[in-house]
Amino acid sequence: MVEQQRRQLQFSGSGGEYFRIWIVNVCLSIVTLGIYSAWAKVRRNQYFYRHTTLAGAGFDYHGEPKAILKGRIIAFLMFAAYSLVGRFDPLAGFVILALIMLLMPWLLVRSLRFRLHNTSYRGLRFAFHGHSSQAYINFLLWPLLSALTLGLLVPLAQQRMARYTRDNSAYGSAFFKFSAGVWAYYNIYLMTVLLGILIFVALMAVTVLLGSSGLIPVEADQLRAMSLLIAAVGTYLALFLIAYPYVAARLQNLLWNSTSLGAHGFSSYVKGREMVGIMLGNVLLIVLSLGLYKPFADIRLARYRIQHIELLANGSIDEFVAGLQSQASAAGDEMADMFDFDIAL
Amino acid sequence: MRVAAVYYDGRQARPHPVTLCVEGDKLLLQGKDIARRDALATLNIQPPLGNTPRLILFADGGRCEVADRQGFADMLPRDAGSAVSTMENSWLYALAALLITLGLVAGAYICGLPYAARVAADRVPVYLLAQMDNQFFASFDETLLKPSALPAERRQAIWDRLQHLSLPPGAAKPERIEFRDSPELGANAFALPGGSVIVLDDLVKLADNDEEIIAVLAHEMGHIAAKHALRQMLQASVVGLAMTWYIGDVSNLLAAGPTILLETRYSRDFERQADSFAAELLRANGMPVSRLADMLQKLETAHRPDELIKSAQTASTLDYLSSHPNTEERIKRLRGM
Repeated sequence: MVEQQRRQLQFSGSGGEYFRIWIVNVCLSIVTLGIYSAWAKVRRNQYFYRHTTLAGAGFDYHGEPKAILKGRIIAFLMFAAYSLVGRFDPLAGFVILALIMLLMPWLLVRSLRFRLHNTSYRGLRFAFHGHSSQAYINFLLWPLLSALTLGLLVPLAQQRMARYTRDNSAYGSAFFKFSAGVWAYYNIYLMTVLLGILIFVALMAVTVLLGSSGLIPVEADQLRAMSLLIAAVGTYLALFLIAYPYVAARLQNLLWNSTSLGAHGFSSYVKGREMVGIMLGNVLLIVLSLGLYKPFADIRLARYRIQHIELLANGSIDEFVAGLQSQASAAGDEMADMFDFDIAL
Repeated sequence: MRVAAVYYDGRQARPHPVTLCVEGDKLLLQGKDIARRDALATLNIQPPLGNTPRLILFADGGRCEVADRQGFADMLPRDAGSAVSTMENSWLYALAALLITLGLVAGAYICGLPYAARVAADRVPVYLLAQMDNQFFASFDETLLKPSALPAERRQAIWDRLQHLSLPPGAAKPERIEFRDSPELGANAFALPGGSVIVLDDLVKLADNDEEIIAVLAHEMGHIAAKHALRQMLQASVVGLAMTWYIGDVSNLLAAGPTILLETRYSRDFERQADSFAAELLRANGMPVSRLADMLQKLETAHRPDELIKSAQTASTLDYLSSHPNTEERIKRLRGM
C-alpha cells in the first residue's frame, strides 16, 4: 500500500497583474469591434490556467483563437436572432429558442470536448469522450423534467449532469470517476430550504413579538399580514444573498470529494461562510468601482476556490500516459459560454 | 549560457529536469536521460504572460516550462515578447487602455448608439411594429391596464377632433388610439413603438377642455413621427445586451423583455422635439400653444401629491415624472413659444 500524499492546488495570479491583461483585452476587443475577444479569451484562460499549479507544474490552455472566433460569430448570430426576433415577434422567438434548446446538448458536448482537449497538465491533455445521445438525456431530458416538476428534480438533474461530464472526462488515458449519489445533492438543497424556513419563522416571530408588545405601531388585524410580508421579503433577500454562495461552496466540495482519477482522489474544503463573504464583497466592490474591480474579483474568487482543492495522490503522479486525442471544435464552447450554460470542471 | 527548465515529452506526465541553450539556429535540450536538438523555427515559443513560466511547445507535443524568465529572455532575446504582452506588462499602457476604453464606451453610448438606433428604426418593417403594439396590449391588458370607463361618445369626440386636424408635412395621425383606465399609472398617455397611442382615463378627466387633450396627443404624435419609442427601445435593448454580456446573466434580460416597453424613458431631447412638434401642430390648427403647457402644469401637480402620499406603495407613479424630465423647464419653454 503506497502512502497517500496530499497535494494542494496552488493559484499564483494577482489582481494587479490580471487587471492589466484584462483592460488591454477589453480595449483591444472594443477597438477591433469584438474580433480580438477570441484572442482575449485565450489570454485570459492561459493566465488562469498557467497560474494554477499542482505539484510544481502548471496547467495550460491551448485553444486556437481563430476557432474560437468562428464559434463566437455563430453564437452571436444565434443569440441576436433570438433576442431581436423575440422582441418583435414572440412566437418566432419561441421557435428559435426551441431550436437552440434542441441543439444545446450537442453544443455542450462539443464545448466540453473543446475545453478539455485544450487543457493540459505536464504536457498531457485532458479529453472528453461523452456521446451526444447521452447528452440529450442528461442535458435536456432531466432539466426539462425538473422544470415540469417545479424544480423537485433539480438536484437529481444536477447529479446526472455531473456524473455524465466527470465519468466521460479523462486525463491522458486515465478516466475520471464520479461517485456522488442523488441524495447528496438533495441534502444540499434541503439544507437551503431548511435555512429559508428558519429565517422565515424567526423573522415572523420577531415582528409579531415587537408588534404585540406595542413597539411597532400597528393595528391588531394588520399585524399578521405585515409580519408575513416582512418575513417573506426578508427570507427572499437572505436566500438571494446567502443561498447562491452557500450552494456554490457545497457543490464544489461535493463535486471534488466524489471525483477520483485512477488511484488518486480529490478533496475540497471550501466554506460556505467564507464564500458568502467573498461573493458579497466582490459584487459590492464591482458596483462601487463601476465594474473596474471585476478582474480583482475574478482573481480573489479563483484563488479561494482553487487553493481549497487537494489531490490525494496514491502513488506517483508521473505515471499518467497520453490517451487518444479527440477532435474538438470551438463553436460549441462559445455558444455554451454565451448562453451561460458553463459547466465548471 | 544555459537555462534550467522542466521538460515533458507529451506521452507521459513524468517531469524531466533539463538545461536549455541556443546554438546557432537550434535549441539544444539536455537532461539525464534525454537530449534533443530542434531548429528554433519549428518551435512554438509562447509570448510571456504575467509572471507565469515561459513556455516552449515542441511540434511533437513536447513541452518545456522555464521558471527563470530573465534567463529565458537573455537566451532568446528576439522572443522577449509580443506587442500585446508588452502592453499587458506596463501600467502606463494599462492606463492608456483604460482611458481609451472609457472614451470609446462613452462615445458609443452618447453618439454611436442613438445614431445606430435611428438608422435601424427606419428599417424595421411596419407589420412587425404593429405586432409589437398588439403584444404590448396582450401583456398589459387586464393587469396594469383596465378597460376605459369613459362614455363612448366622449371617446368618439376626441377621435373626431383628431381626424379634423391639419397636419404638418411628413406627419401622420396615430394608427389607433386606445382608451384605458389604470389607477396605478394615473393621468398619463403613451406612444407605443408601432404608432398606437394609449390615453388613460385620468388624463381625460384632468383636462378642462378638449384642446388640452389634443395638445397632449399632438405631443405624442411628435414622438411617433420621430419614432422615439422604437429608437429608445432599440437603445435600451443594446445597453441591456451589453450589460448582460458583461455581467453574464441572460435570464434577467429575457424576463425584463416586455417591461422594457413600459419603462421606456425619453431623453430630454426627445421631449423637446415632441414639444416643438406639438407647438407647431397646435398653432397650425388655431389652438394656443399654452394648452400643452397648461396640461403639463396640471399633470405635474396631479402627480406630486400622489408621490408624497403613496411613494412607498407605488413607485410606478414616479415613472411619469422621471420619463418626462424637467417638466418645469418644458413648461417655461412652451410658454415662451
